[in-house]
Amino acid sequence: MVEKKYKFISQPRHPSENRRFVAGRGNFVADIDRPNMLHVAPLSSHYPAAIINNIDISEAMMMDGVIDVITGAEIGAAIQPLMNGLDTPKVQRFPLAVNRVRYAGEWVCAVVAESRAIAEDALEKIIIDATPQPFVLDAEEALLPSSPPVHPEHGSNILLDRKFVWGTVGEDFVNAEHNLSFSVIWGRNSTVPIETFGVVAEWNGWDNILDVWASVQMPKYSDQIARCLNLPGNAVRVHYDVDVGGSYGVKRGIKHATLIGYIARKLGRPIRFIEDRLENMRAGDAHGPERKFNVEVAFESDGNVRSMRMRALDNAGAYAGRAPFQLGKPISAIVGPYQINSVSYHAISVTSNKTVQEAVRGFGQAPTNYAIETAMDRVASFLKMDRLALRQRNLIRSDQFPYLIPSGSTYDSGDYHAVIDKVLAAADYKTLLVKRDHLRDEGMMAGIGIAACLEPSGGNSSFEPLLNEANKTSTWMESCQINVDGLGHLTARIHTTSSGQGHETLVSTVLGEVLEIDPSNIRITRPNSLESLPGNSPVGSRMAIMLGGAAARSAEKLKAKLIKIAAHSLGIDAEKLTYAGGNVLAPDGRKHTWQDAVELAHRQFHNLPEGMDPGLAAFDIMQVPTGNALPVDGKVHMYPCYSFEFHLVLLAFDPVIGRPEIHSYTVGHDCGTVINPAIVSGMTYGGIAHGIGAALLEEFAYDPNGQLMTQSFLDYLMPSSHEVPPIQIVKHCTPSPHTVFGQKGSGESGYLGSPAAISSAINDAVSALDIRFEKLPIRMSAISDAIANKSA
Amino acid sequence: MKPVNFDYERPRTIDEACELLASNSNARILAGGQSLIPMLSMRLSRPSLLIDIAHIKDLSEIVATDTHIEIGAMVRQAVAKNAKMIQEYIPLLSKALHHVGHPPTRARGTIGGSIAHADPSAEIALVAVTLGAEITYRVGDDDHMFDATEFFIGPMLTVAPPDGCLVKVGFPKTSKICGTGFYEVAPRRSDYALASAAAQINFDSKGAAKTIRVGVGSIGDFPERLDVDHLLNTDLNDESIIATVKTAITEIETVDDLHASAEYRKRVAAHLAVKALQTARDEVREAPAK
Repeated sequence: MVEKKYKFISQPRHPSENRRFVAGRGNFVADIDRPNMLHVAPLSSHYPAAIINNIDISEAMMMDGVIDVITGAEIGAAIQPLMNGLDTPKVQRFPLAVNRVRYAGEWVCAVVAESRAIAEDALEKIIIDATPQPFVLDAEEALLPSSPPVHPEHGSNILLDRKFVWGTVGEDFVNAEHNLSFSVIWGRNSTVPIETFGVVAEWNGWDNILDVWASVQMPKYSDQIARCLNLPGNAVRVHYDVDVGGSYGVKRGIKHATLIGYIARKLGRPIRFIEDRLENMRAGDAHGPERKFNVEVAFESDGNVRSMRMRALDNAGAYAGRAPFQLGKPISAIVGPYQINSVSYHAISVTSNKTVQEAVRGFGQAPTNYAIETAMDRVASFLKMDRLALRQRNLIRSDQFPYLIPSGSTYDSGDYHAVIDKVLAAADYKTLLVKRDHLRDEGMMAGIGIAACLEPSGGNSSFEPLLNEANKTSTWMESCQINVDGLGHLTARIHTTSSGQGHETLVSTVLGEVLEIDPSNIRITRPNSLESLPGNSPVGSRMAIMLGGAAARSAEKLKAKLIKIAAHSLGIDAEKLTYAGGNVLAPDGRKHTWQDAVELAHRQFHNLPEGMDPGLAAFDIMQVPTGNALPVDGKVHMYPCYSFEFHLVLLAFDPVIGRPEIHSYTVGHDCGTVINPAIVSGMTYGGIAHGIGAALLEEFAYDPNGQLMTQSFLDYLMPSSHEVPPIQIVKHCTPSPHTVFGQKGSGESGYLGSPAAISSAINDAVSALDIRFEKLPIRMSAISDAIANKSA
Repeated sequence: MKPVNFDYERPRTIDEACELLASNSNARILAGGQSLIPMLSMRLSRPSLLIDIAHIKDLSEIVATDTHIEIGAMVRQAVAKNAKMIQEYIPLLSKALHHVGHPPTRARGTIGGSIAHADPSAEIALVAVTLGAEITYRVGDDDHMFDATEFFIGPMLTVAPPDGCLVKVGFPKTSKICGTGFYEVAPRRSDYALASAAAQINFDSKGAAKTIRVGVGSIGDFPERLDVDHLLNTDLNDESIIATVKTAITEIETVDDLHASAEYRKRVAAHLAVKALQTARDEVREAPAK
């Protein structure tokens, strides 16, 4: 396939957001300062489970500067519970614990004071009388009928327990020559942005409107706030012109916004709440999946993998939220990039007395990719086949697209073999093997890691109706609105916050491309939710596809109008005209310029075609491509686009010290047409860094008493620039047939395969010792201890 | 993460600082603040008076005596790292300082602050114990001197007088011929180490080892010296180094946590101690004859 040539798309242009961020002129939630603002500090529970008997706030209330103390009982009676993804009405969640505490760190009440410091002083004066209850931390234990239910009203800890069988699994297992089974565990980690979650809310009683500024990345945020607070949808105004200091999924903040919105309305003063690090880590409700996989694969002696049985048990934490859905998205790529004929999938989500889980980069896909790639390594090891050759044998071939997988999704396009070939060449695979052996000769444990995986993109969420039959949502739109002002300058509105994905650059590049004008001269605004068209925020690697798509379609509508005006003005049929560089050209050489059209549209109604409205504005509300059906028989097509990535890693460690050093990291990435190369590369680098953390360092670990041991950056270790090696990105472009420019998603890239690749490399390094690491993160101490135990 | 209310004073002299200390039983000294400020923010430390010693000029001096290099309590780690006198006479400390935090934390963090804070994984404390540094506190008008090997008694716990102000740390000068080695292992560069080791061998003019000092840190409640005097009678070959370290380290108690098992800490500390000794030995053996 030949790549189309673009003027602005795919060109090396600086993201337009860079200027304000580099200059320190971003507008973050902590920059919002309202007159007469009050501050909030929440009181955290020390118990992982307890019944609250009494909260004595009397001493706190008498302190100077303390305005109010909100308890769970108060807010539980005043607002609606937060939305659940599944049909689990008895698993109720409020911003503060109501009657019962369900995890250590959960907020029990909130002090409102003239300053955050005073609020923290007051927290120390509140006396909680609570009776500790039995608790459960482990997901397998939570499954047992004997385990203490986190929500007794719900009856058990099971939120989701669904078995899917796609294709002839039983038959394939019987007929295949071999099978093997294993289990792996994906540790609880998250994206942990440097900016914690924050929200400012202000109630204007004369206008009956709640203004909200938040560091948020949440679909339908204003709707959810309004529903919880019993307000009309148009009484909540979320300001989208707030920069978000990192998110990649977790900045949902719905419990925070309802709490602060409630207080703002009650007290009639602006309220600010910015989580501190401890609050963010323990009770920001932003942990990622914690998942145990039991996998069985059936395969032939020649390496062909026929079938897979996967049981995925996810520890959702204390409340439901959207966590169980993170078992749903991987259904759309359940066979990874491989031709696996049939799959059974047992998805289980349980509550436990841990912090609540939230959406994290990849929405469950990275853990699943780790399980699939471990299966590939295990099969190769069983057959004593080369791991790379085994993958190449099983990969879907480029001539097989569109490719329908057993669970109902159709992969759009790809050339996986070509990407791998490019990576092997760029990384000089043969030399890499020699380097590995050389390191081994020097007494190091050296290994090569391999991972191939997919990034479903486009942000359809048909896993919702698939896992919750009461949910009939098939709409998952994004919008863009553009307007040419009376001086001829173009402004576009996007209707969501941006958490670093460069949406302003995306939209201006696309508009510039379609309208053939300089993107640098296009203004992008992010108005508030009441001035916005519907959208679903940047989730599921969707914005290049959806916001880029809506922007392109708006531009096409505007272009059509420009041509119509010109046709009328020049007295020529529109079909005979050509559009170039913002101007409309007639075959006879006459030119109807952009400014001519502006003049007519804004000031000369009498010269517009009959029936045409004045002005030069257009908008588009775009449905996700290919998203047009509800699930049938446990199958559904989910995402329009599937990006591919292939990771190749060489790492080595001293057998006593056990600290993996990455010597070489190459990733091949095909996300179709790239809109802005710098943004895509940046996200891939960041994703790989995040994956290095997930594989080696990062974990929200709990002690046996239910206390979070990694509450700050002292113990929750994220890789620094010292631990992230230079990364070579090898680009390939297989355009998607479903999108305007052939673009696919890339927001989750890197992270989806790097943990699998690093695990693969470490396991390769110790393979001669017959050691296997089956849990992430793989800490250096665990590596060294395992080797020492073998030698002993 | 807001500290409890406290008063703040910034005296100009040690005497003033000591007077302030005597005036309030819940006072704390603030030096570089790289540990204390986060502890204040998390309310783990709750002083009612904070005495900032940054403006006491005498405390920022590095002085050479006949036997020691005396480093004032307020000498910043970055300054110490670049100080010629320290590079020449306390090369082990110079090596260790490369591992202390990052450039921004070293720019504020002090030698004295690290000693007084007594983090079990602190590099400066490990060097002090290894070399037997002299730690001087001023209480009122009196100086109290402590031997570093007896100073640290637990995590963030020392025998320092509660009403005293650390004024200087005296590190013994090396002999003319001396080799040093410092190694640590951490999950990330400059993290709190999981194990660390420091070694210094002083040689006489004939090239025979006069004193051998080895210390291990980060593995127990405080840095400790290993007894390797047995090595003085050997030619410092690898086998005897390994055997001596192995024996010496058996008695050291190690801690177990999320990041590393107790066995790991002991195993790696021994590994690093051997490496540190080998490096110290090889530095001299490879050094050109004077």
